[in-house]
Amino acid sequence: MDRVAPEERLLNLLIALTSTRVRMTKQQIRSTVYGYDNGTHGVDDKADAAFERMFERDKEDLRRLGVPLQTVTDAANGGDIGYRIDASAATMQPIDVTPAELAILSLAADYWRDAALGSDARQAVTKVASRVPHESIPELPFGARATGSRAALGAIAEALHERRAVRFDYASSSSAPATRTVDPWRIVVVNATEYLVGRDHGADASRTFRVSRILGTVKAVGEPGAFEPPAHVDLGPLGPSAVVGTATVAVRPEAAHALRRAGTVVGSDGDWDVLEVPYRHLDALRSEILGLAGAARAVAPTELVEGVRRYTRAALEATHD
Amino acid sequence: MTERSRPRVARLLGIVAYLEDNGPTPFDELARHFDVSAEQISHDIEQLWLVGRPGGFANDLIDFDYDSFADGIAAITNTQGATQVRLAPREGVALVAALSALVGSGVAPRAARSALDKVTRALGEEAVTIVARPDSEDTLMPTLAAAIQAGRVASLEYVDASDRRTERDVEPHRIVTIDGAPYLECWCRRARDYRTLRVDRIVGVTVTDEPVVTAASGSEGFTLTREYDATVRLRRAGRWALEDIPGVTIDDDGELVTASMGVTNERWLAGRLLTIATALIAAEPASLRAEVARQAKAVAAAHGE
Repeated sequence: MDRVAPEERLLNLLIALTSTRVRMTKQQIRSTVYGYDNGTHGVDDKADAAFERMFERDKEDLRRLGVPLQTVTDAANGGDIGYRIDASAATMQPIDVTPAELAILSLAADYWRDAALGSDARQAVTKVASRVPHESIPELPFGARATGSRAALGAIAEALHERRAVRFDYASSSSAPATRTVDPWRIVVVNATEYLVGRDHGADASRTFRVSRILGTVKAVGEPGAFEPPAHVDLGPLGPSAVVGTATVAVRPEAAHALRRAGTVVGSDGDWDVLEVPYRHLDALRSEILGLAGAARAVAPTELVEGVRRYTRAALEATHD
Repeated sequence: MTERSRPRVARLLGIVAYLEDNGPTPFDELARHFDVSAEQISHDIEQLWLVGRPGGFANDLIDFDYDSFADGIAAITNTQGATQVRLAPREGVALVAALSALVGSGVAPRAARSALDKVTRALGEEAVTIVARPDSEDTLMPTLAAAIQAGRVASLEYVDASDRRTERDVEPHRIVTIDGAPYLECWCRRARDYRTLRVDRIVGVTVTDEPVVTAASGSEGFTLTREYDATVRLRRAGRWALEDIPGVTIDDDGELVTASMGVTNERWLAGRLLTIATALIAAEPASLRAEVARQAKAVAAAHGE
């Protein structure tokens, strides 16, 4: 028998499990779905093991495509396991996007071009496009790119969907790296920054994590359905209008434009303009001031001023020849 | 192997759903719609022809009209119930996070925002919460986009990385969002070279009548070239800030981290190192160290130290 392309086998499996009336057992799948080693069942252990591997891989591919298999056990048959796919739950409902919006979706997929999420994003665009009539639109003068891999984000989204806890190493802005176990309740995206909000098992309380600060890989742990996120999750400082505080920052004339946009000019100090800048995370503001290489000066709060000084001293120590 | 089969499965199901919704469609149109060649569409349909229910009899298989196929038109006559499947959690979060970055950077704001609303709604309440900042009333981005679309030279007032205010005429090609911050790719007439300028450092823009004559750089939009290789040692608490540097390799012994990377922009990397300075132990080569120290001294001087 010629080798069957994996996508052909996957589609055969998808169609078989969607159209089966009750369920198919693994042996029925193996002997009737074209692309598996139909008829070699029991020939030898090697063939059995190869089938098992192939079937596991196909289940994983279907899951990654958004089509998890349901398992149906049959009490009358000694509790053996069968599989099916619920067609109504698996089908893509049309998203009513305009051709211009579809072009933006392709641009969005480009954003992850080099990242772990790249193939997922392209698949998503293909799926949305399949329910949108074709219309040619002028090429957009825009591009997009993310420098991070964000493999963690995909793993968190999956675990959230399956209601499984996640485990990862995390470096917070204030404490040493430590392993955290978290029930993922919400992914919150603020512009280009993604956060995970969930119950930290160690603290037994709701915590917010910046996804880009997760070190290494995110592992799903425990059983699916292990928790139910609360109906209302307090987003705290991430909320739409939530601001933690207001800092005072002096900026050189015609410099620090991002800060100027975020804040309001409230006065001047010699040449410098004095701004009041609302902030959510003091460490983000500290990084912004550090990044301006002297074009901005922290004035208040003291914690911010001290932070900037501590970092400049540390940088000079570390680079001392 | 499976890395390549999933995108193709999504496209194969997409072709079936598209034909079901839209009727017979020329290969060319499917090719443009799914961003592949017409030849690939032909292969895809030949592949779909072999797919179907267990049994494998002719009436168990997905079927197309043969005469239309010979004319380069896809006309599906039996789908066997196959259709596009819903967005997977990873796919959904990838789309909305990228759209949010576009919206936040002000690139193509109107269509990006409505697309973001629609996709978020389609994913359902639970998946992802988008916190959008209020629309900016900035006229800069629309003016730049208009200059690009009209193919006109833009006259910019720009504050460079050393905080010097400059005036330069540029031939604008594209606006690119990098991690949520907008950049303008252009040909700079003053430097006689391609430049990628931070939009938030552009103070003023005037569109001139002069036409753009220099073609866009073909290099994926990025004209950054590697200047040298750098090695940075730091405590693990600072690792997050280096993980997202393109091409970085990180060696982590659980306490200390050694990161090696090609440096395309020393000033930028030094700025990044400054933001994790309390975890920084050493940086090579000496010129990188000197740049970190220069920036740190400038910040310290601004703070009266």
